[in-house]
Parts: sequence; structure tokens; C-alpha cells
Amino acid sequence: MAFKQDVPWYKDAIIYQAHVRTFSDSNGDGIGDFGGLAQKLDYVEQLGINTIWLMPFFPSPLRDDGYDIADHYSVHSSYGTLEDFRTFLGSAHERQIRVIIEMVLNHTSDQHPWFQLSRSSQENPRRDWYVWSDTDTRYPDAGINFLDTELSNWAWDPVSKSYYWHRFFSHQPDLNYDNPAVREEMWNVMKFWLEVGVDGFRLDAVPFLVEREGTNCENLPETHAILKELRRKLDEQFPGKMLLAEANQWPADLRPYFADGDEFHMAFHFPLMPRMFLGVKLEDRKPITEILQQTPAIPPSCQWCLFLRNHDELTLEMVTDIERDYMNDKYAHDKTMRLNRGIRRRLAPLLDNDRRRIELMNGMLMSLPGTPIIYYGDEIGMGDNINLGDRNGVRTPMQWNGGWNGGFSVTDPEKLYAPLIQDPVYGYPAVNVFSQRRTEHSLLNWTGRLIAVRKTTSVFGSGSIEFLYPANHRILAYVRQLGDETILVVNNLSNAAQAVELDLRRYKGNILIEMFGKNIFPRVGEIPYLLTLGPYHFYWFRLRRI
Amino acid sequence: MTEVKLAGESFLTDDFLRQLIDVGEVDILVGVATHNNAKTIGSIVETIQAGILTYFPRERAVIVNADGGSRDGTPDLVVSAAIGDARSPSKLYALRTLHSISAQYASSPARGTALRTILAAAELLRARACAVISPESTQITTDWLPAVLRPIYSEEFDLVLPTYRRHRFEGILLSNLLYPMTRALYGLRIREPYALDFAFAGRLGSRFLAQNAWHDETARAGSETQFTLAAIAGGYRICQSFLGNKEHVERRSADLVPAMRQTAGALFASLEPNFSLWNSRTGSQPIPTAGAEPEFTLEPLRVNRKRLREMFSIGVAELESVFQSILCPSTLAELQRIAQLEESRFRYSAELWVKTVYEFAAAYHKSVISRDHIIQALVPLFRGRVFTFLVENRNGSAKDVEDNVETLCLEFERLKPYLLEIWNGRE
Repeated sequence: MAFKQDVPWYKDAIIYQAHVRTFSDSNGDGIGDFGGLAQKLDYVEQLGINTIWLMPFFPSPLRDDGYDIADHYSVHSSYGTLEDFRTFLGSAHERQIRVIIEMVLNHTSDQHPWFQLSRSSQENPRRDWYVWSDTDTRYPDAGINFLDTELSNWAWDPVSKSYYWHRFFSHQPDLNYDNPAVREEMWNVMKFWLEVGVDGFRLDAVPFLVEREGTNCENLPETHAILKELRRKLDEQFPGKMLLAEANQWPADLRPYFADGDEFHMAFHFPLMPRMFLGVKLEDRKPITEILQQTPAIPPSCQWCLFLRNHDELTLEMVTDIERDYMNDKYAHDKTMRLNRGIRRRLAPLLDNDRRRIELMNGMLMSLPGTPIIYYGDEIGMGDNINLGDRNGVRTPMQWNGGWNGGFSVTDPEKLYAPLIQDPVYGYPAVNVFSQRRTEHSLLNWTGRLIAVRKTTSVFGSGSIEFLYPANHRILAYVRQLGDETILVVNNLSNAAQAVELDLRRYKGNILIEMFGKNIFPRVGEIPYLLTLGPYHFYWFRLRRI
Repeated sequence: MTEVKLAGESFLTDDFLRQLIDVGEVDILVGVATHNNAKTIGSIVETIQAGILTYFPRERAVIVNADGGSRDGTPDLVVSAAIGDARSPSKLYALRTLHSISAQYASSPARGTALRTILAAAELLRARACAVISPESTQITTDWLPAVLRPIYSEEFDLVLPTYRRHRFEGILLSNLLYPMTRALYGLRIREPYALDFAFAGRLGSRFLAQNAWHDETARAGSETQFTLAAIAGGYRICQSFLGNKEHVERRSADLVPAMRQTAGALFASLEPNFSLWNSRTGSQPIPTAGAEPEFTLEPLRVNRKRLREMFSIGVAELESVFQSILCPSTLAELQRIAQLEESRFRYSAELWVKTVYEFAAAYHKSVISRDHIIQALVPLFRGRVFTFLVENRNGSAKDVEDNVETLCLEFERLKPYLLEIWNGRE
């Protein structure tokens, strides 16, 4: 099935992040699989999603939920076969849903045959596929990412009697990208999946590919050179496919990942995400406007990727110490909610299950410049279980109905890969797709309407943004423009009703048309435009001159 | 039933109200009343800003300037302290927006109206803790804000008054009249009952704002003193906090009359409505004090003592008919006697001074003549007392000065029954 080739398609994408393991189990073994995922494509399509991002599904010892890959060319047996994947992919494409998959470039599982060979002896041809050292003192300026579990970026290998480099878990040795063979093989991996038919990759942990003494081993020029080479090959051999960078960096350090439009197509805007939560809690737009002011312009063909939550902890790497302390105090007062430098909670619990705040955050997600990603389950307001350890509490089975195993699997509940959320507030009898489909104004249906309205225009995906700075700091207001189309977005970040006067003189003569109800609001004149908003309310107005 | 004010009757301008709407609810409000303070206000506001960012980074805060018609750009300097969407001008990181707004409450300065404007802002913004900082407090440090606000914020005090390290000859009106008389009558050892830098809880501010005293000229003039007295009368929790050095400010001779109105006048005016409170109190109690104890510094300071003595004597002579209405014959006779003495033998004793003040207070209460004239008439007598204070303390240590002030306080307390006796009758 050929897609309509609107390039760049990723600018109008609405991405749904899903893990095959957590979504739906079709064979009754308690683990989600591609058969189940394929069966739920109607659901995804009805929601309005046009792109699915799949978390790793490769063979793996699953010590990091699949980000520890042991075989790049296959599918984990728990999830199905390569053929099952192809079937799923075909079904998705039939529905005009693109699929991007995870590709972990930086490291593999220590169970990967490459590493097993590399460690076996210093003379093995794969020896240089990883980064080895006789001491653990090299690259001392590199920070430790998984602070809660790792004490060093070096791990001692008793087989090889030497140290190997790992920027993540110690069972995830880093590949050596100074080795051309590694670079060539990783391209072969990508090429394999592109030939299967995937539409792009989320490249995991890309800042860490190359190490150099005297640096923090992140975002090095050599790393960018490697990524550009991958992009060159991609454009040459698979035009129209997309690369999404996972680089948890400050905006200025993220900019190079776009280069001149010849490196990544998209990158996650990590610094913006915690500031959205910060802004709502402070009831102050300052954190949001400040970070977006610091965000550099990117090439016209490139795009930011926006998200509220994902499979990882809500990272607080890219905030100041004061902001981090505040976020921890307000959103993770219970310290068991904190992991590494983040908070391992889902969207709804973070926002106290406040429907208004959930809507506001989603409204901003869909209207700020970038491509939005919805994390599976957040569209129904799923809860979390921090007692499951690591980040597993936000990766519980999808809740389809209030019945047996929440509709996720027919197996015995004890055999599920992870227990369902069961508390009276977020548990599957209370929060599930089936009951929300029956309720016109459920969060699920509201999210569907939100996506539908967003898709009525390309302004949100491709348009410019100009912030208005009304004196009322509780109001975040901005104008999005693309060609002749102008949209005004006004968000009340506060728990109380607000009045705001907006300077819209530049748009004098335009009638404001509220985009959800399509009602008209007064015409813009010379005097400041007065709006009042309820708690956490937001408006999207189309400006129309008739 | 709450009185509803029509827009036309409000002293808050539409523009100011609009600014308050934009600010919204705050936790902390810092008010600064100004009139042509461009020379000093910039650094003061910068220090306030730094104090907020350093010690109250998470709190919703606003700086409110009540300006009495400055023509030197003072309000613009205050407003420039705001921190908004753009990168902070301060070197300190700002977690949230800091508003800094300004309102012109009048075309000429009126301290009481300025305070009223700040109180109104505090009420409308539901500020939990409020500080008022003088635009002349150039010695302010970032530590001032936590010193005055934390007792309110964290310890539920309602009023925090300052204490300072003052020059022994600075604030003699305070040490020889306001402090000892407030202490003797109201039973609380409040070192600076008339303070230009202080803090209060929102609930106290609202109570004071609701008082009808704003229509009274005297009350408007001495509103800071009235504020302290209202807190005492209302049984609010009061404490003191040490703020460090108090800079010596040169005052003109003519400044003493308005100063007397704002302090002694306000104090005298408070006695009548609060009679039931003060008449039964005996002795005095210390109030909680944070930080160091107040102390005197001893560096040399030029004072024209001779002029003070002369003005006293001239005043005693020229205002004899006025004093006959105010003072008891024996007190007046004694004043006339010491007015004749040479400078080297002149002494305005503590006992005589206390009697003088109490007789003035009683005369004020009975309005024997115009109350403002009564206050003005006290000025030359006060100058005589200042002369004696300067002489008695010129060579003393800081402790000696403190002891002398304490002696005077005890004299005020000892002679309180005298005030009660003459309150409604004469000696």
C-alpha cells in the first residue's frame, strides 16, 4: 500500500508510542504480541493516529525491556515472528498508519553474539566492536546516566579480564563506532528493517556513540559525522523514511542533530517537556516561554517531537537544580517515585487525575510547534505502579475493558508479564477503553476529538509560532501561522478563572472562530482583546477575515 | 454587610487594578512607597529582587510601588525589576515570574495613602506575608526579606518590626518618646513602634485597611505608628527582627514637626480609643526578637547642641500661653526655670520629660487647644530633651546609652499612674 507522499509526512504525524509487549496478547501466554497489536489497529486508527512508534521487539534477555538487543535481525519469540511483524506492518499501512521502530545504535546486550565473541579473546575479529580498556580511568568526564544503579561507566569483564565501556546498564556494553565494521553493520541492520518496510527509526541514545578523552563523550563531532553518513545512505536508498533522534540535551546541543537538514529529520524536545509540568504547577508560563525562546531555529524540513510522558522516567536532566527540586517536591514527594534523575509516573497520576489539567497538557502538546506523541494508555488516563521497580510501573498491560485481565489477555492473571493496575481509581475496571468508548465525554473520546481538530490544519505541524506576552503570567498565548492560516491558542495554566487582555492589533478585523465548537467570537479591534478562561481551560481560535 | 465601593469612590485607579488582575494571588508582597527616589530606589529594588529570588524562589511574589507623583523616573526603576518571559536581568535564577508594578496614588506624596494603597494591593492579591521597605533604606541587604518575612511565613506572627544597630544619636524621638511611652502604656517592649521597614500578615493588613481611620488627617499622617498600635490593640502576635545597621539620615530642622505629627501625634491619638487596653496594663514585657539585640554605635557625629538649647529656651518663652493650656503649673514652672540656666547646667531630667509628655498626651485627649498645635508645641521642648540626651551620652559606652534609655523607659512606666490621674482631670 503506497502512502500519499506528502513530504515531509512526519510534520503532520500524530505518533502513538506503543510496546508490543504491553498492548494486547493474542496467543494467551500473558505477553503482548504482534498478533494482538494488529488486532488493535482499528482502535489506533479511530483515535486518529497516523504513526506508531514501536519500542524494541528484538530478541533480548529483557533486562532493560528490550533496549538490550541480542539479535538485531529478528523478533523476540514472545512477540511473534518476523512474519507476524510483516503482517502487522502491512495492516498498519493499509490503514495509512506508518510505523517507526526503535533502533538502539549505542549498545547491545552483553548476550549479543557480537559481545560474546568480542570478550572471548583479544585476538577475536570482533574484539574491536566494543570499547575495551585495561583500566577504568579513561573518559573520566563522562557522566553516569543510570545513577541509581551504576557506579561507573566501566564494567569489569571476568572473561576478558579487562574493562568495557557502558553508558547505560552494565549489561549493555557500548559499541565501538570508531570501528568502520561496526558502522557498516549497524547500517545493514537499519537497511534490513527498511527493506521489511518500516517507515523510520527512533535512534536511541545517539549522543553517546563516540568517546574521546578530555570530553564528556556526548554530542561529539565524530558522532554527528556518523549520523550524517547514516542519513545520507537513508536518503539515497530509502527516500521518504524518517530518523528521530533520542538525545536528552539542552536545545543548543540538540540543534546540531538537525545539521543543515541532513542529519536527523526529528528530535525530541526533552527540555520542554518537564517545563510544561513545571508551568502548570507554578501556574506560570515562564518556564515554557523561556525554554522555547532558547530553542534555536531548525531547518525547514526538520521537526521537533513533543511528548508528555513515555516509557522512561519523566526526565529532569535538562532542568536547573532549583527546578528539579521543585518538580520532585511537587510531583514525587514520595521518593520511591523518583528514579535516576526523573520521576517514574504516568500522566494521569502526575496530574492528580485532574481531567482539566490532563486536557490542558494535551492541548499544549497538540498546539505547540512540533509533532506530538501520545504514550499508550495516556489517552484513557491509565495509572502506574511504582512498586514494579525500574520503569516497569509505567509499562503495565493496556486496559481494554473491565473484565478478565482488563481484556489484555485470556491467560491466568498470575501469568501476565506484569500485573494490571488494580486500584479503585486507575484500575482496569474503572479506566478502560470499552467503558470510555461508551461515554461521549470520556477522556478517550475527547482525545480523539482533539486529534481530529488538530488534523484539520497543517498549521500546528508546520506553522510558525509567535508568543504573545500578556501581563497575566498565568496565561500562555501564542499565534501559529502557515501561509494564510492563523490560529490563536490561549491556555490558562492556573487553577482559577482568569481574565486576560491580548494585544491582537496586528490581526485587527479578524473574527475569532473557536475551533472545537466553531462558534464565532467578537472581531479583533484596536483595544486589547479581553478573554476570560475557566480553570485550566484553553482556546484554539482560527482567525478569519471576512 | 461589606460596604460596596463604587468605582468612582475608589482610590485605586483602573490602571492599577488592571495590573493587580494580571499579578493574581501572591504569597509575598513587598511594598515600596516613593516620591522622587530615583537616586536610591534602583539598588533597593534590585536588593529586594535578589532577596526574593534567593530566599523565596518558589513563592509567588510581587513588588508594589505606591508613588506620590515622582518626576524623576522613580516608578520606571521599580517596574524594571520585574522578571518575566525574557531572560532574567538578575544574575540569580528565577523559577517563576516576579511582578513589579507601580501605581501613582496621588500627585503629591501622602504616606498614609501610600500605605493604604499597599494594603489594598495586599488584600486584593490575598498576599500571605507582606513587607514594606523604605525607599531610603540604602543599607538594605538581601537578608532583610527573610528576616522580616519568615516569622510571618513560617511562625505565624502577624507583625514583624525591625531593630537596628543605630548611632546613639540617631532616632532620639524614638528612644526618648515613642519607644518608652509605647512600652509603658501598652506593656510591650517594641523598640521601633514607628517603623518604615516592617512586615505584616495579610490578615493584619486587611484589618487595618478596614478601619475608618483613613479619613482622619492625623491617622493618615501617622499610619505606620497606627499600624503598630492596631496590632497591639487587636492582640496580634508581634515580634522584632534585627536588620543590621541603620544609616544615619541628615534631617532638616523643619522635618521635626511632621515627624512629631507622624509619631507622637499618632501615639496620642491612639490613647483615647484604646484606653481600656492601656489603662489597666502595668509594667512591660519583652517581645520575641530574632537575630542580634539592638545596639548603639559610637562613632563621632557632629550635632549643633547649642542651637537645640536655644530653640528650647525660645520656645518656652514664646509659647508660654500655649503651655499654660497644656501643662500643669508646676511642670511649666520647672521648664521655665531650666530654660534660664546656662548651657553647662542645663538638664531636662527624665522625670520632667516624662511628665511633660504625659501632660501633653492628656491635653491632646481633652483637646484643650487644636490638637495639631499641641503636637507642634511639643517640638521645642523635645529639642531641650535632645540636648540633655546628647550631653548625658556623649562619652558613654554603648551599654551606658542602652542603660540610660532603659532608665527613661522605667520612668515612663513609673509615672504611668500620673497619666491616668490627669487623663480626665488636672493635678
